[in-house]
Amino acid sequence: MPKGSLYPETVRRLAAAGIVVPENPGRRLVVPSLDGSADLLLLRATDVPAYVEFGAADCGIVGKDTLWESDRSVAELADLGFGGCRLVVAGRRADGYQDGARYPTFLRVATKFARSAQTYFSERDLPCEIVALHGSVELAPIVGLADVIVDLVATGSTLEAHDMVEIDQIGVSTARFVVNQVRFRAKYDAITSLLRRLENA
Amino acid sequence: MRLPPGVRDWLPQEFAFKREIEEKIREVFRSWSYSEILTPTFESTEALQQGLGERLMQQTFRFNDPLGQSLALRTEMTTPIARVVSARLRHTSLPLRLSYVAPAFRYEEPQLGRMREFTQAGAELIGAAGSGADSEALFMAIETLDAVGLSDARFDINDAAIVDGALSAAGLAGDELTVCKELISDRNLVALRAFARTRGGEALETVLRLTMTRGRDDVLELVRPICRTPESQAALAGLESILARAQTLGYADRINIDFALLRDLQYYTGFVFEGYIDDLGFSLCGGGRYDGLLPRFGYDVPAVGWMVGVERILLALERRRADERPRNEVDVLVGGADAAAKAERAKGLRVRVDTRDLDRDGLLAYARHKAIPRVLVGKPDGSVEEVRVELDEEARS
Repeated sequence: MPKGSLYPETVRRLAAAGIVVPENPGRRLVVPSLDGSADLLLLRATDVPAYVEFGAADCGIVGKDTLWESDRSVAELADLGFGGCRLVVAGRRADGYQDGARYPTFLRVATKFARSAQTYFSERDLPCEIVALHGSVELAPIVGLADVIVDLVATGSTLEAHDMVEIDQIGVSTARFVVNQVRFRAKYDAITSLLRRLENA
Repeated sequence: MRLPPGVRDWLPQEFAFKREIEEKIREVFRSWSYSEILTPTFESTEALQQGLGERLMQQTFRFNDPLGQSLALRTEMTTPIARVVSARLRHTSLPLRLSYVAPAFRYEEPQLGRMREFTQAGAELIGAAGSGADSEALFMAIETLDAVGLSDARFDINDAAIVDGALSAAGLAGDELTVCKELISDRNLVALRAFARTRGGEALETVLRLTMTRGRDDVLELVRPICRTPESQAALAGLESILARAQTLGYADRINIDFALLRDLQYYTGFVFEGYIDDLGFSLCGGGRYDGLLPRFGYDVPAVGWMVGVERILLALERRRADERPRNEVDVLVGGADAAAKAERAKGLRVRVDTRDLDRDGLLAYARHKAIPRVLVGKPDGSVEEVRVELDEEARS
């Protein structure tokens, strides 16, 4: 289970699927579900794909944006539909990139999504330098650290507040149910049953 | 001095364990009358390129010799073996049964169960078509994991022709078919559903169902109606025959059919399988039919083969026998009696010869410390005294 923004809805969905997370797990990292049918690992969202790929967890719930970034081999069995947001390229309104102004010949891109950003600009043959940041990416163009940013937007209000606009959409992300490729076989009945319950939840 | 990422040292105890496992694997290969073969660690990039898909070529360590010829470290053994067989064993009667235990090299992010240098053990059955040969590969793999102590390993099998049949029934061809197969192989149900929505049609719904279907004889009945091409019908009959033979060996409970199991798409042409245990999140062994490989070296014969990652087996075993104590390495300690030491070696015992001129007490103390059960002490008159060392349980560890 991802801690952070997906956590509340993940808890709700799992409960609807019959896996009830105890309230106030406190500082525990491994929490048994109320009926004891599952052990829940509370992880940083970005760590979920690695835990699942190695089989440290049988399955997980994680945003598609995290999957893009991780390049981990996991089976993506269901789009759970919640946690919707879009990964976009954005810039300062004043720079006019949104209206077709040309990018500098060597573009500097500030982002928390280095891999996705690199792929996007490489595919378009745009030479760029990725400035990998961990937060408040909107600040980078304002202080001249980067020309544009690649970041997730939900409502767009953060961009607006900093006088920035969306230039292009890279992708739409929602929460996904992912499974380890070998555990899918080893625990086929349990995992397909959980998949059905999550889809109907 | 630090090691580069992705390689490791094998210290004596670890290495002894690795050797022991490799010997057990070789014993199974011998019992199936396979002959071990070895090819060079590196050869010309061009030769390897003929066999490897794009993905493996990207993971190939390459370098130039002083004349500028491009050389490459082998990333697996099947391609070099195909080269040797087509060049030098072409006139040997078929089928050929070749095995190997050898290091291979891949440039990838080092992580659990994935190193840049690793040991592959495997077997190739060349010049044999049909499900009899396919089941030989599978049963050898099962016996190998049994022999190393992983008798709870389970195996999933499939034949790529079944998915091919279903996809062509859905009207897919060319790039679309390749993309779709990759999604099936990744079991990316989300993307497959999106694809099915844009394309429509009931046939793709069948493909979606296939991706999630896994089981035994019952799932064969499920796909029989959609296997309309001669290839997919033959594939189905092949899987049935393998399951029937497995039944007589008591393996039936350990084998499942998983229609999404496709392995390396550019490589395998029919039957494929993978073996795994529940406590590791990645497979231990795998293989299948690769009828397209030898023709690329100008020798038009079918082949089936499989391999197992030796380090992955060690990883599985180490987790289970974590509490096992290391064993003693020496049978007898000898001081001042070279001839006696030679005689003990001739008996096949592991003999340690004292090089520090220890006296009788010193030898006994050393033996107790190292848990050596016997000591031979040379006397000034040329005679040899034999002492049995009482080892308490603690000293044995």
